[in-house]
Amino acid sequence: MTRAEAFSEREVARSTVAHLIEDGRTYWAAGGGTPLYAVLLGQKLYAPDAQYVTEDGVISPEPLLPFEPMMTMVASRAVHHALQWGTMNSAGVHAQLGHMDYGVLNTLQVDQHGNINSTFLGEYGGSGRRFGGPGGADTIAACCWRTILITDQDRRKFVKQVDFISSPGFLDGTPGARERAGLPRDTGPWRVVTPWAMYDYSERRLRLIARVPWVSVEEILAECEWKPLVASEVQVLEPPTEEELQLLRTELDVRGQTTDAAGGWITWDGEQYVRA
Amino acid sequence: MTAPSAPRKLSILREGTSQYLAVDPDGFRAHIRDNKQRALKSRLMTAKEAVERFVSDGDYLTYECNYLMRGPNEVVHEIIRQGKKRLWAAGKFTYVDVALLVDAGCVSRADCGFFLSAPPIDRALKEGRLEVFEYSNVIMTLRLQAGAMGVPFLPVRSFGGTDGFDHSGAKLITDPYTGDPITIVPALNPDVAVIHAHQADVFGNARIFGTGVSDVESALASKKVIISAEEIVETAEIRRNPGATSIPYYAVDAVVHSPYGSYPGTCPGYYGSDPEGVFEVFRAIMSDQVQPYLDKWIRPFETFEQMLDERVGKPKLEAMRARETAREGYSA
Repeated sequence: MTRAEAFSEREVARSTVAHLIEDGRTYWAAGGGTPLYAVLLGQKLYAPDAQYVTEDGVISPEPLLPFEPMMTMVASRAVHHALQWGTMNSAGVHAQLGHMDYGVLNTLQVDQHGNINSTFLGEYGGSGRRFGGPGGADTIAACCWRTILITDQDRRKFVKQVDFISSPGFLDGTPGARERAGLPRDTGPWRVVTPWAMYDYSERRLRLIARVPWVSVEEILAECEWKPLVASEVQVLEPPTEEELQLLRTELDVRGQTTDAAGGWITWDGEQYVRA
Repeated sequence: MTAPSAPRKLSILREGTSQYLAVDPDGFRAHIRDNKQRALKSRLMTAKEAVERFVSDGDYLTYECNYLMRGPNEVVHEIIRQGKKRLWAAGKFTYVDVALLVDAGCVSRADCGFFLSAPPIDRALKEGRLEVFEYSNVIMTLRLQAGAMGVPFLPVRSFGGTDGFDHSGAKLITDPYTGDPITIVPALNPDVAVIHAHQADVFGNARIFGTGVSDVESALASKKVIISAEEIVETAEIRRNPGATSIPYYAVDAVVHSPYGSYPGTCPGYYGSDPEGVFEVFRAIMSDQVQPYLDKWIRPFETFEQMLDERVGKPKLEAMRARETAREGYSA
């Protein structure tokens, strides 16, 4: 594996998530963009026995890559050679039964307790802006044993309290809050990954546990609306490899729709990685 | 066997406050008794006739899959062409359909699982032409599942604790069996379902291949069901492999022969999408140019077939079919 010398910030987050993908686990990838690409990246390079489902109930397909534009579910190339073809209810019910180890999601806004907003920015019903809604993410966040959330490192996205809970994290953060809301026992947020950092949860609150080499802990904290917990030792993440970028760019996100240059590019100047 | 202990008190712990389609399982049964054709009689008709007869202003509408993926686009175009009004849409698993129908003036209420929010939606919300009620994709398909079972509600393991819950028809109750809190959601029995199948016979026995969202649930849960199909097959062919029937005829009110009926989307196993057509509809919505889109693709034509002939052309349609090389599993 070769350390890459130039890549976009969002490619970094896909790479970080790919390293979390484990053999012998089931993954429910939300929607058909970023989460699916991250799972496929991990499966193809590091965890060939990782299995995934999507919202249309397809189980463990061997998709013909690249996908056609927008055609990451239902389309024949996306569901090719699956073990089973199902429906949205089959995927939802399999998650309710406990078959889904991990859910992988991306979102607009996340808060200190891992609650997710993909519905409305601003006061609901007011002059703010409406977004697409939870899609499959509500059930993924409720019923998968663990959830991995991908988002950008941005003060407007890392907030103390989301404007609208579309999909549940630890809700108000008190012990048992999810169970009191009728959600399955022992489930919940597990990791948040951004182009700069990775977080876990301590006592149901976000905790910074790793950073990329080219960004300091202080810079990360400056892009959080509130101050998350910080682990006593913050690990340093590996930059993406050429192999990962090759796969992402030529087979997965061919059009750069989810890994574009938003947030800038990182390059190796011969001595260190620098943000462009 | 568990002996009954002291009777549990069934209490409602929290309730969503939004409007939802009235739940009436016995009314639904009566509708089925009084309106569904049990005889094996042809239901084959044009999209124009199907929409005239079975889609009424004010109806609750569910469409299956979406405009890009095995959508019933011929019927959706016809709904727009006929200028149906005040429809309430089941907006699940959707990129563009809700925005098209809202800007066309057809839809004024939507239950949201997921649909692309875009300038036409924003304007309609600001101008008070659209009301949205909050669910999620799976919650919407589970509501349809309840509707398809003939029961008034279904307990579900997600949705509790969200703000969507508060803006929906859900309730949190004490489960009378375990004593734990559980969310229940109201059954959904739409007035009309429009579904695109790969094959159907003239009676409405329909085969859908590949994955889907909630085709079977929508067909069984809805008062009126329009099936459009790529191919009309003999009933003998249906009887040759009954296990392949997705939807039984007695749930169906109209069958429309609709080759390339999902254009510009894909009908998996039969033809791939038209990427140009897909980008064009996205662009129209994101740049708030739905009216020019409707004027180019829908309004000038008498029928979908005429649009395919004059606007798309045979070479492109044949190329879409040729490009669909992954065909395993898409036959009975």
